[in-house]
Amino acid sequence: MSSLIAQFHAEGNAARRVACRLCGYEHVRVPLARGQRAGCVRCGTMLEKRGRFGPHAPLAFALTGIILAIPSVTLPLITVSKIGNIRMSLVYSGAGALWDHGMRILATWVFICGTLAPVLLFATLGALIAARRELDPAMSPRLLRAAHALEYWAMPEVHVLAVLVALIKLGTLVNVFIGPGFWCYTAMSVVLALAWRSFEFESTEPAAGARRAFSA
Amino acid sequence: MTPSAAPPPPAPGPPLALALAGTIMMVPANLLPVLSTNLTGQTRSDTIISGIVALWEDGMWGIAAIVFTASILIPVLKLLGLGWLLLAVRWPPRDGRRRRTLFYAVLDFIGRWSMLDVFLVAFLAGTVKFGALASVEPRTGIVAFTAVVVLTVLATNAFDPRWLWVEASNPDERTAPDPDGPAGQTP
Ligand SMILES: [Zn+2]
Repeated sequence: MSSLIAQFHAEGNAARRVACRLCGYEHVRVPLARGQRAGCVRCGTMLEKRGRFGPHAPLAFALTGIILAIPSVTLPLITVSKIGNIRMSLVYSGAGALWDHGMRILATWVFICGTLAPVLLFATLGALIAARRELDPAMSPRLLRAAHALEYWAMPEVHVLAVLVALIKLGTLVNVFIGPGFWCYTAMSVVLALAWRSFEFESTEPAAGARRAFSA
Repeated sequence: MTPSAAPPPPAPGPPLALALAGTIMMVPANLLPVLSTNLTGQTRSDTIISGIVALWEDGMWGIAAIVFTASILIPVLKLLGLGWLLLAVRWPPRDGRRRRTLFYAVLDFIGRWSMLDVFLVAFLAGTVKFGALASVEPRTGIVAFTAVVVLTVLATNAFDPRWLWVEASNPDERTAPDPDGPAGQTP
């Protein structure tokens, strides 16, 4: 069963408060059971959830992403051939081609959105989760701002769709082989979405069960 | 610390300026060619729209629709939608705040998909390099188009959805559920 649990303001200390990320309405955190979600009482946006994967999910996803990032950028993304000529491209070959045509700012931008920001976001999330565990409050705000900025411009899922569209378009023109780098990159983009969602929404309030254990 | 921070006063200047700049950049983004294709000596240049038309005529309706949505529909929808939200901040309607907040969340989510065409041109230019046999080269229109995408994303980011709730900031209205829907329940 899932139901809502978000209370009105008025009581509780600052650490137990959560503001709606859209309308700004402040709520007091309450413990959630697995599978439960808390929504904003005013606009309905999800505030927190306790997912199926448990409290270690964000760290597990971040580490998986860092591991997947290595083959994503080093293994061949796509190989195409035309009458005996073969060309292999990597995930950042497109940015390289723009650079070679003198579009250097655009090349840098494409490299950031498609390659650099996703990889840095995994690293930042890993560091943030580690900092949260060590309870180091000085580091977190800056890292948190960096994570939000990186998340805004990291678009591996859009890149994956663009490559698929290009492959359909090229199918009639050249022979196309999908390389292992493409599968790793696609997996990385899925893990990035999972890591970000579990990081942003996973409740940090002790679960109802844990609390009961303490009071018993 | 106060129980609930007061919402920030609306500052519609930055999102309006960014949205207008994005609208102006739509002109070169759609008139200039974004890429040129060279096939065994024959060269053709394509704008965003002529590229979509070519896909359609080749029978690739699915990807023509995807590219049309990402390159034309989403930027136009974002600019019109942002204009509508800015009007709602300037002259707040009596109800519908909840619906407009949800609409903002949708605008914020779809913006990044406009980058599709940029990645597409970059990928084609980086992959189809067979010299005189077959090659794809980027053209300046793609720079203008990327400017449209970045400006519309920044405009949405500069808009603070809390502005939609400014008039609801007195305590009585705060605790009253929004007339639009059942408050406080998330299935
Ligand atoms: Zn809210």
